[in-house]
Amino acid sequence: MLLEIKNLEATSNGKKEILKGINFQIKKGEIQALLGPNASGKSTFAQVISGNPKYEIKKGEIFLNGKNITKLPPEERTKLGVCLSWQSAPAIKGVKLYQLLDRISKEELQKSNLKELGIKDSFLLRDTNLNFSGGEKRISELLQILSLKPKLVIFDEIDSGLDLKKIRIFSDIIKKELIDKKISILLITHSGEILNFLKPAITNVMVSGKIICREKNFKKVLATIKKYGYEKCKKCGLLAN
Amino acid sequence: MDMKNVKNVDYWQIDHRLKNVSEREGAIVMPSPKAWEKFSWVKKYFLRKPEEGYFVWLKKEGKNPLTTCLTIASPNISQKLNNLLVIEEGIKVKINGFCNAQKNNLRGSHIAQGKIIIKKGASLEYNHCHQWGENDSVETDYRFILEENSSLNYNYKNLFPPKKLRIKTFVFEDKNSSSELDITIRASNTKIDIKDNLVLKGKNSQGIVRLKLVGGENSEIKAKSSIVAKEEVRGHLDCQGLLISESAKIFLTPELICQNKMAQITHEASIGRISEEELIYLRTRGLNEKEAIGLIVNGFLVAKK
Repeated sequence: MLLEIKNLEATSNGKKEILKGINFQIKKGEIQALLGPNASGKSTFAQVISGNPKYEIKKGEIFLNGKNITKLPPEERTKLGVCLSWQSAPAIKGVKLYQLLDRISKEELQKSNLKELGIKDSFLLRDTNLNFSGGEKRISELLQILSLKPKLVIFDEIDSGLDLKKIRIFSDIIKKELIDKKISILLITHSGEILNFLKPAITNVMVSGKIICREKNFKKVLATIKKYGYEKCKKCGLLAN
Repeated sequence: MDMKNVKNVDYWQIDHRLKNVSEREGAIVMPSPKAWEKFSWVKKYFLRKPEEGYFVWLKKEGKNPLTTCLTIASPNISQKLNNLLVIEEGIKVKINGFCNAQKNNLRGSHIAQGKIIIKKGASLEYNHCHQWGENDSVETDYRFILEENSSLNYNYKNLFPPKKLRIKTFVFEDKNSSSELDITIRASNTKIDIKDNLVLKGKNSQGIVRLKLVGGENSEIKAKSSIVAKEEVRGHLDCQGLLISESAKIFLTPELICQNKMAQITHEASIGRISEEELIYLRTRGLNEKEAIGLIVNGFLVAKK
């Protein structure tokens, strides 16, 4: 098992309880999806796995390749291969994107990927994430993730703000650069559009800080949510933990 | 601009000794005491005969920037420099000025007074870089005189300040002249006193002053920055401070003095701390806290508005 999470409970700054006893596992090379309504705790889950100290783990443990990483700082987790693609990445004024990529890079940027994403040099010369459009932010995140040589990537809303053509291009690059190299992926998505391209082995549904469903057929989950909303998921509770 | 890569120095003084003075076409470069003796007109720019310092008179544009270096290399040296820089009418020039201590523990003193005369229609880009040891003491007083239609782009950068630093910068602008002043300082274990004054005395003159100050461990920075508008002019003052240590203090005092109802002068000032979110973001990219702070601070210092 690459990542194993046992009975995780976490709060934001020691106050509001957001994650309420989560058990989760992902194998090496596996793709999983995480769906859920707004404010269900999906992004918090991603941030807690990546070690954001803003969140306090009240209970439970996180293991990576059998090593307990629950108390490790974010940079150590990243070095071990846990990499997060942020949903709302902050701007770093004065730090050009190419400078950041150069600084964090373990892998040379593939020029073919830049071409496929339609990136011009002028984009890399801009301050990281400053005044980036939604699509540009996703590109910035993807480039950073590819530079980090990850073992597990958590994509938090990588498809948000992208049109179908761009989602296809992103998916092709993720397949080529990550999936084909047996990198594990957790896709957090609101629209679920990217799942049609990347086809997760397991689709999880999170509601109110709990994973209430783990289902192999992502199409079934998407169709149910589309038709009945997350209320149906609450009642169904398929494979609830 | 980086002191490590300083090449082809035109005037280089080490301690009190002249290391080299170059000859270049269209320029007269010599120690200021020698200029005092040689050119009678020079006397009006000094109160008395200077003891040391440089004289640079640029009459023609050159291919490369003119470079000066004032260095302290021995312990307990006390430099008292009087520098004069004259840019002749209508030319466009670039000057790199470096002032530094070669070692960290020399306990030197560097007191420099400078006058920079930019004649009618001339344009000067002046990159001024300081790099000192932690026990040095430095005082500078630079006065820029901009004649009609001239322009100045002055960049002062000090990422290695001494124990005590006092810098005064005055800019006097005549008709249709313009200036941009960027003063960038990263402080730690130091006391810094900054005073800059932009006097817009000629009609249609304009100027921008940007201060970027980073307060690190055991540092205190006091900065008083002012613009005086005497005519129909435009000016803007932008003072930004960033505190990166609990033991740092920054005092920012922007001041606008308007003596003409058609003048438009503005200011903005802010002091902040490093955003926790930016820090965590960079840590999720594998940088430790110190590396992440370093990157954010460097970004702050170089970021354009």
